[in-house]
Amino acid sequence: MSLLAAFARLGLQRSGGVTGAVAARCLHISPVLCAEPLKKKKKLDPQIVKQREDRKKKKIEKQIRRLEKNARQLKPVEELEVPLDLIDDKDKRQRKLNPLGSAELEERALLKKQWAHYKHDERVADFQIIDRLVQAQNKALAELRRESEELYQAAIEVDLQLLPVAVKGPVATPPIKNYASPDGDYLHQSMKWEVK
Amino acid sequence: MLRRLVQVGVRELSRSQSTAAATEKWDLYAGVLVERLPVISKSLNPLEKQFQDMLWRVEYENSLKSNHELKHEREIVQAELIKQGKMQVDLEDSGAKQTAQDLKDAYIEELKKFQLADRTTPDDKANKTSSTDRCLEDTLYLLVQQKLGPQEHLILPQGKREEGESMRQTAERVLHEQCGQELQVLFYGNAPVGFHKYKYPSNQRTQSVGAKVFFYRASLRSGQVAEKVAKFEWLPKEALNGKLTNAAYSESVNKFLL
Repeated sequence: MSLLAAFARLGLQRSGGVTGAVAARCLHISPVLCAEPLKKKKKLDPQIVKQREDRKKKKIEKQIRRLEKNARQLKPVEELEVPLDLIDDKDKRQRKLNPLGSAELEERALLKKQWAHYKHDERVADFQIIDRLVQAQNKALAELRRESEELYQAAIEVDLQLLPVAVKGPVATPPIKNYASPDGDYLHQSMKWEVK
Repeated sequence: MLRRLVQVGVRELSRSQSTAAATEKWDLYAGVLVERLPVISKSLNPLEKQFQDMLWRVEYENSLKSNHELKHEREIVQAELIKQGKMQVDLEDSGAKQTAQDLKDAYIEELKKFQLADRTTPDDKANKTSSTDRCLEDTLYLLVQQKLGPQEHLILPQGKREEGESMRQTAERVLHEQCGQELQVLFYGNAPVGFHKYKYPSNQRTQSVGAKVFFYRASLRSGQVAEKVAKFEWLPKEALNGKLTNAAYSESVNKFLL
């Protein structure tokens, strides 16, 4: 009988209005989910999957074949190619000078011969200097060895501090002291290359 | 690798040879040849100048006209046409436009404004031998006043080797002692480049007979000899030979000068 009474009360409460709704709002039965259930994975036909993979493979193989075929063909360097407009108006750019006279040609030939002799002599003199230096060093080393073998061994050690060598060559005019270089515009001229 | 093999071979070979002599005892000295390398290139001699002029002429003859030259020629033709009245003067254009000739004049003006440094320095004119800022075309060598026996001599910096030093270490130490700490140099290798020996006067040959000097080559990086440490001079090759009074020493040094 008591069960019946309880049901009767429940029925009463449901129809009870405001108080019943408040009680129901505070009641949680399932845990709060901050995510939605995973989507069901589409099941693909294994044959289609295989077909796709095959197609991919074929595509790559084709690319490889094409690359191998063109392996010997080098990619042109654009900067090294003469621009077409320069080739087109080459005639326009030619200097129209009078041909050299025979006297002038003769003079130039003589000067070249003289120059060859001069450079030859210079070279011979250079070799003589090198010989002299090597001789002087050999003599010094031989003398050092006569004095002490240890010192000689220390002297023929390789000096690794000399590497890497940095040499600043002579210039045409000496650097200006306290020179403040003016700021110029910075133009970046090298081209950008993109992998296609 | 090869060098090491050679060294090992040499070492074994030498063991039998060395210390055979040395009945007389000699003092070992290290000397340093400090050189200030040329700062500017050599002036051309008449033949070189002539040849260079010829090369420049040939270069001009073989060259093609540049855009600037073409523009200049075009403008001359245009000016001619306008003069003859065959072409209308474009009033809007002509005022603002810069001709090739104008540009060229502007460039030349700008170049003229820039003052290149002189190839001869004030120290050249004053003949200040203690300065490294002179004779920019030549290599300068350092001579230092030193006391040998009772007399002072102007020679390459040198000093006696101490026990336990290699010759290179001696050379570095000697240079520091004689020229101060400011002088920064780069030694060219561990091997001496030259050699000189001299005997002491006969009344001083108590312990050793004379001195053997091993010269090392070094190039000046920066700095200068400390004024108070020593009297010194930087000299080109010809002047150096004038300053070295001892003929034998001068000969030995000349063997390894460039």
